[in-house]
Amino acid sequence: MQFARIRGNMQISLQAAHKHTAARIVPAGTWILVAALLAEVAIFAAIGENFLTVGNFFEAGGIDLSVGSMMGLAAVVFGAMWHDWNLPIPAAAFVALLLGFAGGSLNALLIARLNLPPLIVTLGSFSLFRGIAEGITRAAVNYTEFPKSFLILGQGYIGGILPVQLCIFVPIFAAYFVLLHRSVIGRAWYAIGFNPAGARYAGIPVAKRISAVYVLSGLISAVAAIIYVAHVGQARSDAGTGYELDAITAVVLGGTSVFGGRGNLWGTLLGLLALSVLQNGLHLAALPSELTGLLTGAVLIFVISLEKWGRVSERKSYGAIFEEVQVKNGQIAVICATILMAAIVIAGTNVWLVHSLGGGPAVVTHRPVIAIMPKAKGDPYFVSARVGAEVAASELGVDLIWDGPTGLEAAKQNELIENWITRRVDAIAVAVENKGGISTVLRKARERGIHVLTWDADAEPDAREFFANQATSEAIANTLTDEAARLLGGKGDFAIITGALTAANQNEWIAFIKKRLDKYPDLKLATIRPSDDDRDKAFVETQTILKAYPAVKLIMAISAPAVPGSGEAVRQARRKARRNCANCCALEYA
Amino acid sequence: MIFKSHRREISVAIAIAALAFVLALATPKYFERENLSDLFLANIPVLVVALGMTLLILTSQIDISVGSTFAVCSVTAGVFAKSGLSVAPMALAVCLIGAMIGAANGALVAYVRIPSIVVTLASMVALRDGLRWRTQGAWVQDLPPSFQWLGLSQAAYPFMAMSSVLFLVVLLGWGLRNSGAGRAVYATGSNPEAARLAGFDTPSVTFSVFVITGALTGFAAVLNSVRFNQIPSNAGIGLEMKVIAAVVLGGTAITGGLGTVGGTLLGVVLLGMIGPALTFIGVSAYWERAIQGGIILLAVIVDAIRAHSGKYANLVAGRA
Repeated sequence: MQFARIRGNMQISLQAAHKHTAARIVPAGTWILVAALLAEVAIFAAIGENFLTVGNFFEAGGIDLSVGSMMGLAAVVFGAMWHDWNLPIPAAAFVALLLGFAGGSLNALLIARLNLPPLIVTLGSFSLFRGIAEGITRAAVNYTEFPKSFLILGQGYIGGILPVQLCIFVPIFAAYFVLLHRSVIGRAWYAIGFNPAGARYAGIPVAKRISAVYVLSGLISAVAAIIYVAHVGQARSDAGTGYELDAITAVVLGGTSVFGGRGNLWGTLLGLLALSVLQNGLHLAALPSELTGLLTGAVLIFVISLEKWGRVSERKSYGAIFEEVQVKNGQIAVICATILMAAIVIAGTNVWLVHSLGGGPAVVTHRPVIAIMPKAKGDPYFVSARVGAEVAASELGVDLIWDGPTGLEAAKQNELIENWITRRVDAIAVAVENKGGISTVLRKARERGIHVLTWDADAEPDAREFFANQATSEAIANTLTDEAARLLGGKGDFAIITGALTAANQNEWIAFIKKRLDKYPDLKLATIRPSDDDRDKAFVETQTILKAYPAVKLIMAISAPAVPGSGEAVRQARRKARRNCANCCALEYA
Repeated sequence: MIFKSHRREISVAIAIAALAFVLALATPKYFERENLSDLFLANIPVLVVALGMTLLILTSQIDISVGSTFAVCSVTAGVFAKSGLSVAPMALAVCLIGAMIGAANGALVAYVRIPSIVVTLASMVALRDGLRWRTQGAWVQDLPPSFQWLGLSQAAYPFMAMSSVLFLVVLLGWGLRNSGAGRAVYATGSNPEAARLAGFDTPSVTFSVFVITGALTGFAAVLNSVRFNQIPSNAGIGLEMKVIAAVVLGGTAITGGLGTVGGTLLGVVLLGMIGPALTFIGVSAYWERAIQGGIILLAVIVDAIRAHSGKYANLVAGRA
């Protein structure tokens, strides 16, 4: 990232000369910060892969919830074609695109031909696509080690500045723009969204045009999937989780009407920019990621109600949809203003930051800043890890930044580290979620003179200086299996409640548990069920297992949120039937 | 006549019957009283929230913030209980908080006239992240002993929960069909302009429906939280999807004005029975999601094919 580079170089040279005199560069640094921020905004936005999934959701008055799932499916099929079938990358990409086409066609068939509501159809295919992706990979396969020449597509920079992704994105955006705003087909989409019956009487082949929208949406999702794989360096069935929501938020923020018939691509682009600025700015200012949602919500409501109040004089009758149809040029202007404001606020915080780092003329000793990242912030295991980190930080007299993805999202960790490099923290400690994807960024951090540590799960050895390994997967699995054997007297059935089916850690443990079972021929693993890190789901799954598999005498809960859920289910089952049927062996480990 | 006006309900009922038939042959254990009662308890949140969502979708609105509202209400229920509030005031306060969140959404939709999907998208992310920020992911623990089962016994609680939820279902079902308020909901959803001209205060109808949904979400949170002795801060993720799927599957048209509480009940039953049924049959968890998606698609496809002969199709299969 350009910003990072400029500041990085600046800081390194400064470091060599005078470590604690950053304040001196502030006058010169201020405008660089602002200018660099604007450049960063453009680049960063292009790096957000969800850019490509922002299809024209609403132009034809429909909605496609299956884009994120389609990305997951296309990603694993692409990986499987390349890795297992030994197809060259272009051929694998072609297959993935074909798949996107087929998935889009399925939606199109059901919606346009069978006249089914798009919401329920794509809700169904949302589960279907993701489910197939999980099924064929057994949720565990993670295709990595793609050739360097392919990874450039998602990670490379042309001439060190221009991201390759941008070069792919611009033509696609241009093609979309022409299709939507300068072609007969685009006109037809608007007409259909505005009034399908009217469009039909005007001689537009409505079903055909609607089909095209969904096919295109599937196709674009596949393209996004390939770029995503190149960006994070791995193909897993959980690629693109939650992107449908980001995409819809951006589209709506950009002024596209959910009733159809109105909206344009520039607005969507602006909407996405606004979201990216918010997220990125928060990270740069070291504010917690959770503020993203609060601010996104506030901006969304603020922008749209501002635009509504602006037209308050025109108010005639409640609920008349026609009112909704007027083009919201004003809204786009407001979004521009919001982006600018956000940029200024962020730049301001950065200036303040540089000031505070320098500590003014009477140089205060610089407190080291240590940034620690958990795999997921909400996980109880990492919540307790944080408590420890904070105590240690205050004892050592260092500043602690604790931030991480709010859900398990591989790409999010990379973004945060990029921001930390820009902020130039002194040390980074990461619980790595995605080994293949994060190592490049960590190496970059080391080049900038930042100390890099990993904990809980490792990155590639040359990307970090030290790895704090609390327990190896094998030791965890062996202890669990041995303990289960002890409780069961070496004989009987047991079941595993895991986190998400795609959770890499847990899948590794399960593999070692299965291996260890060779030692106990009479111990049988009856079934593995997911809890999706949801206490209530773990509860229901455990209840069901106890009834459906009466032979199961032991439940092994191996994800932190699943432990209390499974435990409670066993406790209640015991109390209810007074049968001493199940022991709960639970390991509190995330 | 009844076959025409309740086409989707009948399609879903057929799907349930078919699934039940397969289950009866494959694993009769599925129908043991204990399993059915557990299933019911597990699906209370979806069912109770779906009642509110039915009203919302009938008025051609939608609320995708219910999952986040549910989480906020669950956590506040725990906090209230820890602060020493006894069961009844705690439940009331939580429902009130749910209603307040619903009122905020409803006011923006009904009076500021922002599309409901935009408003509730915003409150969904804002509430979820706000809660994460406030709790930092920590769970509410060390609840007083009177919290679990509302101070009732483990055997008495399901009976109490079941009867109160069934009472709600019957009340809403009856009210929608027979009361003036119910007619106002249908009228507003079918054609807001006509409803307004006919003398209905359509913004107030919309607003009230949001408030009711919020309060029901709070109630669902209470009923669900008390089954455990700790409260996770990440409750209700994806609840909105389950609820909307159940309501729409149950035949309520996303365009408003068409649908019944009975249909929603059937939708919840079908979706709720699939998951555990797959475990009972022994389907691998890895394929479960694909099969669930397939069953939803199949149910609507069958419905579309049944409709294809009748002219009624265009009326029912609304655009979303």
